[in-house]
Formats: sequence, structure tokens, C-alpha cells
Amino acid sequence: MSVRSPLSRRRSAPAALPRPDVLVVDYPRASVGGVATNLILAAVGVAFFAPLIWLLFTSFDAHAGPSLQWPKLTFSNFSALFNSTRLQPFINSLYLAGVSTVVTTVVALFAAYGLSRRHIPLKRTFMLIILFASGLPVNMLLVPVYQLFVRLNWIDSLFYTSLFLAAAALPFAIWLLKNFIDQIPDEFEEAASLEGAGSFQILLRVILPNALPGVAVTAMVTFIAGWGAFIVPLVLNSNPTSTPGSVAIYEFLRINGVVNYGQLASYSLLFAIPVVVLYLIASRWIAGAFTFSGGVKG
Amino acid sequence: MAKIALDGVYKLFGDVRAVDDVSLEIADGEFLVLVGPSGCGKTTSLRMIAGFERPTYGTISIGDRIVNRVSPKDRNLAMVFQSYALYPHMTVAKNLSFGMRVRRQPRAEITRRVQEVAETLGLEELLARKPAQLSGGQRQRVALGRALLREPEAFLMDEPLSNLDAALRVQMRVELSRLHDRFRATTVYVTHDQVEAMTMGDRIAVMSGGRMQQCDTPERLYERPANLFVAGFIGAPKMNLVSGGVGSADGSPVVRWLGQHVPLEGEMKRAISSLDVQEVIVGLRPEDLRWARDAPESCSARLSAVAEVVEPVGSETYVVARVGESALTARFPSRSGVSSGDQVDLAFDPTHLHVFHGDLGTSALVPDAPPASPAALEPTETPELGAPLGEHSPAL
Repeated sequence: MSVRSPLSRRRSAPAALPRPDVLVVDYPRASVGGVATNLILAAVGVAFFAPLIWLLFTSFDAHAGPSLQWPKLTFSNFSALFNSTRLQPFINSLYLAGVSTVVTTVVALFAAYGLSRRHIPLKRTFMLIILFASGLPVNMLLVPVYQLFVRLNWIDSLFYTSLFLAAAALPFAIWLLKNFIDQIPDEFEEAASLEGAGSFQILLRVILPNALPGVAVTAMVTFIAGWGAFIVPLVLNSNPTSTPGSVAIYEFLRINGVVNYGQLASYSLLFAIPVVVLYLIASRWIAGAFTFSGGVKG
Repeated sequence: MAKIALDGVYKLFGDVRAVDDVSLEIADGEFLVLVGPSGCGKTTSLRMIAGFERPTYGTISIGDRIVNRVSPKDRNLAMVFQSYALYPHMTVAKNLSFGMRVRRQPRAEITRRVQEVAETLGLEELLARKPAQLSGGQRQRVALGRALLREPEAFLMDEPLSNLDAALRVQMRVELSRLHDRFRATTVYVTHDQVEAMTMGDRIAVMSGGRMQQCDTPERLYERPANLFVAGFIGAPKMNLVSGGVGSADGSPVVRWLGQHVPLEGEMKRAISSLDVQEVIVGLRPEDLRWARDAPESCSARLSAVAEVVEPVGSETYVVARVGESALTARFPSRSGVSSGDQVDLAFDPTHLHVFHGDLGTSALVPDAPPASPAALEPTETPELGAPLGEHSPAL
């Protein structure tokens, strides 16, 4: 290992002391392979960013079209959206994602706690089934679920649609949350039980506060899935007044057979904002929050 | 406060007998230490008392109530965990009062008790802090305070000092003993540290391989170890254990040991005649094996030896000396001037000998002693060198 270090050169130790072996990152010299790798990565990056830049440009472009071009600046694409028919889908999306998030998170918390802490016969098998279920594409279930919804007269109801979304998100949420709860030392719970707390009190007062980052992650993932859900509300809910935003975007593509790219882009941009904001808020404290520092030694 | 009793308790995990027929009675207000090497079943026993594990067979009672099927929350016990198990999201005050709060006790009462306990343990300044902002010793104190606050039937402590550094451990040991003297609370204390056991316990229960080896006062345990396991486990440096035989000379029983015929007297004489074997294992504590020049008059038996290792520990020196095939540890004065290779004469008092049954490993002096586990039956031909400085118990 090389010991040539910019750090040790700048702050050289007194001569009498042996110089510590400072761990040094030896930056690789540019090589043909390295340049090629970077070029490929840059190309991939452009492929990812181009649609986003198109979205941004087009939303402010008076002459919006399907190609990426420098915009002729206007806010008309946005101002056209501020009317009740265009904003209602946002409220619908909020309802759909909100209800499914609350239901999924609460149910998953109880399920994950039980699966994490109790002796349950065939627990491992059950967890594997849950893992398998979390990987199943929801679309696969849609035809039978549609028939079920028709028979129960649940069709065209935003509430029941969000319940289905909650059910669909549940396996992954349980899996995720169980892994978070597994990390909470058993001793917290044992200490609480000796002090007279029952299972529900332990869950509420000891497990939940310590699992909050996990609960937040679970809620966020569920919310994002519910917010972006497209095919489920499209199939289960054809009532135009309760169309969520994700389906509303799709409708821009077929208004009188003409595609309004400007409004499509600005609507998409607005639609992305809640998720981005949620992510920014959550990521700040999720990153470092999951430690039980001070609670137990180690 | 209440007494705790274990009656014929077993705990099986699959085929493993973690706890194997343990019966034990802990009197009201007693400080009982469960001690033994890792995996001896001491923590499992404690967890069964706490209610975290259910005994496979046998009964556990607290006071007059059999608690086998009583959940931990209804046992009214308090426990100090090795890891402290402080709730990281609560302040010290909230941690302390958690038990009273879940039992919905009056707020004024809670505040009063928190203040009281905080004063007792010197936690007043820390009440608003979270566990992450405390040092190891402070966390330990909070964990202790949490247990004290509720005035439970009994305290359970699972190696509460093992995460502290040596100096703090000694300090907390004294403090715990002082607290026990003050509150006289029934306490079950688990440790693997024999010094903690000897200095703190009213009685010590030594466990090995899931079985109770001996349960007695520290003095009795030291002076009358029931079997080879206890003899080897209690005391540092370890007791010298060398095989020998019993016989008679001039019509009176003697122990043949290291080429000597050691005449026996009193209790030992009667005990030896009741042994059903000729082969025995003879034990002698290093502190009872003296330098002949320095020995009191009662040390009538002599051995000549060659010093092999000289280990000064400050107040005294332990010398590992070879007698024939066997290496024995002896206690020398601190400035004896003996160095390795020197010819030394050793002396001991025959009444200090411990004689163990050659097959069972049980002490001849302790009737109904449980057989030592098979590992303990191997006589220690090369005794372990003296424990490092600071591990010797001042009480010994």
C-alpha cells in the first residue's frame, strides 16, 4: 500500500514521532479502459436525463412538441391546469395513496411485529410465501379481482380501489418492516414486559418509537406505489370524477386525438412534486436514524 | 420482598439440557449469586425466574405463588440487563418511570419516586438526557435505578457489571453491595466472575453443565468445595489437584500423596474411612502451600520441590514448583528471592487438604455432594498459572 498522502504531507508529524501510516486512496491514472467506461456511463446518464430535461423544457414551452428543443418560455401550460377538473385528480391520488399507505402501514406493523417476535409454527415458510407474493406482478391478479369487485359492487369506488392497492403493497411492507423490527434488541421488550407492559403497550411505546425509521420507509414506499399506481385504478375505477392523477396524465394523450405535450409535461412535473418532496423530507432523517445508540451496549 | 424457589427445574432446548434438575431456595432479602462458566445454565435459570423462558419440568415459585404460567409482566420483578436495555428514545427520567407509567400510577407519586431514586444513585443531573448521551457507568446506574424505582418482589441481575471497565466495576460492586445492605431486597445475581460472586453474595450457587454443583456461603464454598468442579472454579490461583491414594499406617488412616504419607486428623480421618475407593484426588490451595522457611508451625508436612515459574503479584509471589511429576502452585512472601530453578522446601498443614473421591470427584468432607461433571474429574497435573494482578479477591 502506498503511504504517499496529501494529508500527511500537509500536516506532517513532529520529527521525533514515527509518522503514522495513513491510509491513502491511490487515484488511478487515466487509462483507455477507464475513459471508455466513463463514456459508456455518461451515455447511460444522458439516456436517463434526456426525458427529464424534455419534461422540464416542454412544460415551459409555448410550442411544445415530442422532440427535445429549447423552449419558448411560457407559463400557460401550468396556468391551464389550475381548474377543478384538472386538480381533482390530484386530490383523488392523495386519497388513493393516503388510504392505502395508512392501511398497509398499520396492518404491516402488527403483522411484522408478530412475525418478528412470536414463535409461530411454519414462520419461515410463511415469510418465504410473503417474499414470493411481494414479487408477484399485481397485473396478474387484475382479471379475477375485477370480477370480484363487480360481484361485490365495489367497482368505481376509490376507497375499495385503495384497499386493493393496500393489499397489494402489504407483502413487501411486511417483509420490509419485519427486517427493521428484527434489529430492535429483544432486551427492550423483555425489560418492558418485566416492568408490567402488555404486548400492545410494548408495541406502541417501545417497538414503534424505535422502528419509526422503518415505518417511515414502509409508508413512503407504499405511498409512492399508490401515488404512481396506474393500471389498478384504470381497471377498477372508471368513474371520471374519481380518476387519480396517474390515469389523468394518460388522458392527455387522447384528448380529441390530439396530444397536448405542453400540458402533459407540466402536469407530469406537478404530479412528481409530492413524491420528490416526501423523499427529500424522509431521506434526511432515515439515513442516520436507525441506531439504538445508548440503549444497549455494543 | 419475597422468597424465590426453584424445585426440580429442567430446561431442555431440543436434546440440550440447559438446566438440569436445579432446586434452589432464595430466602427473603437474600443476595444469591449464580456463578459458573459460559453455558452452565445460570442465565437460563435467571430467565426462567423472570418468565422469559418456561421450565420444561419443575416449578418456580415467587413468594407462595407458583409462577410457571405467570407472564413476566405479572411477576412484579425487576431486572438489570447485561446490555442495560435502556429505551433509547426516552430520557433518563422517562426510562426510570416507565414501569410506573405503564401501571398508571399517580403522576405525583412517579415524580417523587424518580427524584428519590435519582438522589440515591446520583442521577439528578442526568434526568433530561437520553441514553446515548450517557457514559457506560451512568447507563449502568440508570438501569439499576429503573429496577429500584418500582420496589419489586425481587431483583434479577444478569452480569450487570461485565460491560464496565475494571475500576468502575470494582466501584459499582461496592455500591451494589451497599444498596443491598440498605434495601435488603431479594436479589438473584448472575455472573461468571468468581470475585464478584465471593464479594457480593450472601450465598453462591455454582453451576456447571446445567447442574447445580454447590450452593453455600462464600466461606463454605471456599473451605469445603463439594466437588472437583467447585474446587477448581472458586479461588485464584486455582487449587492444586493431584491424584493420590488412601491407606493406613500404624493402624490409622493416611493419605499417600506426592510420595508422602500424610497422617489425618479429626473430621478428615472420619471422612476418609467412609470412602469406598483407594484412589483419590487430593487438593491443596496455593495459599495453603507455603515456603517451609516462612511457614507457621502447624505446617507439619514437607515437600521438596524445584521452582519453575516465579510470579510476583505485588503483595505476594506465586511459585509454580515441580514435585516429582506434578507441578504445584505455592504462595511465597513477596520478597522471597526465589528464582526459577531453585531448590525450595514447601510445607503445608495436613488439615488444609481436600480429598475428593477418585471416580466421582466428590469431596470426602461434604456428604451428598453431587458428582463433578466429567471434565472436572481430570486431575490438573499442570495447574494454571496464577491469575493476573487484580483478579485476586481481597476477601480470600
